Amino acid sequence: MIQLTNITKSFGRHQVLNKIDLTVQKGEVVVILGPSGSGKTTLLRCVNYLEKPNDGEILIGDYRLNCKHASKKDIYQLRQKSAMVFQQYNLFKHKTALENVMEGLVVVKKLSKEEAKTRSIALLEKVGLGSKLDAYPSQLSGGQQQRVGIARALALEPEVILFDEPTSALDPELVGEVLAVIRKIAKEGITMIVVTHEMGFARDVANHVVFMDGGVIVEEGTPVELFNNPQEERTKQFLKRITPELNYSI
Amino acid sequence: MKLDPSFIWTALIQLLSAIPTTLVITAVSVTIGFIIGLITALLRIYKIPVLSQIAAGYVTFIRGTPMLTHLLLIYFGLPMLVDALSAQFGWSIKSSSIPMIGFAFISFSITAGAYMAEVIRSGLLAVNRGQLEAAYSVGMTTPQALRRIVFPQALAVSLPNLSNSVIGMLHGSTLVFTVSVVDINAKAQIVASTNWKFFEAYLAAAVIFWGLTLLIERITAVIEKRINLYNRGGVA
Ligand SMILES: Nc1ncnc2c1ncn2[C@@H]1O[C@H](COP(=O)(O)OP(=O)(O)OP(=O)(O)O)[C@@H](O)[C@H]1O
Ligand SMILES: [Mg+2]
Repeated sequence: MIQLTNITKSFGRHQVLNKIDLTVQKGEVVVILGPSGSGKTTLLRCVNYLEKPNDGEILIGDYRLNCKHASKKDIYQLRQKSAMVFQQYNLFKHKTALENVMEGLVVVKKLSKEEAKTRSIALLEKVGLGSKLDAYPSQLSGGQQQRVGIARALALEPEVILFDEPTSALDPELVGEVLAVIRKIAKEGITMIVVTHEMGFARDVANHVVFMDGGVIVEEGTPVELFNNPQEERTKQFLKRITPELNYSI
Repeated sequence: MKLDPSFIWTALIQLLSAIPTTLVITAVSVTIGFIIGLITALLRIYKIPVLSQIAAGYVTFIRGTPMLTHLLLIYFGLPMLVDALSAQFGWSIKSSSIPMIGFAFISFSITAGAYMAEVIRSGLLAVNRGQLEAAYSVGMTTPQALRRIVFPQALAVSLPNLSNSVIGMLHGSTLVFTVSVVDINAKAQIVASTNWKFFEAYLAAAVIFWGLTLLIERITAVIEKRINLYNRGGVA
């Protein structure tokens, strides 16, 4: 289980997250929606501690961390409980697809090279890149790079994988292949928090949808509740803007 | 006076014996300079209080003053310092026991460090922040992330400029004649002093320096090819 309590973050005087509480059950896929600047990325980055919250508590699995007094060691511990899939992929540029996936296993998890390699190859095959093991990121398409990114996150067997708009930097024709991989691993019961603007994906993959605006969670519920029967005016406005087809299709 | 082509050859042969001195001075100053430069660059990038200001001051002072001046300051200043410290703490070290080449090592390392600090710093800044974040995200500590992810990429970016620094130090090492160390250039002067064929002797020195420079460029090209394997998408 992942439990965020009272997560608060400001950049200077600009408060970006205002006392966020969020619970994600094991095996759940939570989709976070919200307009640009609402703090979605910042929230994910706080969970992975790439951004230091000013206040609040993060519980991942059996590890609890109070953001007010977190030592370096606590932070390293916490980071190992989650893995991030970045909007811009952020694959290690100087390493091949295989080495990208192996890196965390060898350096952080201290697996032997052979074991890390076997596991990494299996994962790359799973995301459909069994034939690209030795390719450098610069030799891969955006969709392929993102799939390596997903394999890299999976390899660490984290409690939760955090996806920050994993398909928004991709050409439209490449979005499908990445979403298909995310769907597949969602079915395997991997806990995920996904920030996305792909409404179709959110509808059929999410167990729980969260709508954020202005640094707070405005509304949350099942996809059916949130998409078909939003309660808050801000949610309705947002959904209307992002899915204009709803206006006439029903 | 007429050109004596055969003496160019004679001088060249005699200059060979001074090549190790030049190479040792270059290698020592570049190696220690690289370490100083790396530390200086990290202090500045991580904005460590006080130390980063000292680092910035060191870089501007050294880059704002001639290499010959550094050598002379060390040559005349260090003995005073050593003797003062020895007297203070009752050490047995005497400034007169410092070998001449030691002054060159120390002062040129300081010179190289300041230039390399800037090269390394710009290389580190060229590495996308996302690389570091990805390393953190897979659970690496800062030293692991720097060593495994950031440094290799920064090094690849900095390589051409580092190579220029090495060449700069090679050529700059000729200043050691001022503290009576016999490098290639000083040797040329000695070789010519008996028959006054300075032009021939210095021409021979030039040929050797040119050869060494080409060698450094070749080595750089080989390393560049190896570590830039991943950069297929570059402009070149
Ligand atoms: N490092 C930073 N320094 C200062 N302000 C920041 C920083 N990162 C984010 N912000 C601000 O925090 C707010 C929330 O940003 P965030 O990236 O979390 O939004 P988002 O919901 O992910 O938006 P988008 O949908 O555009 O990705 C924005 O107003 C942004 O300008
Ligand atoms: Mg964002």
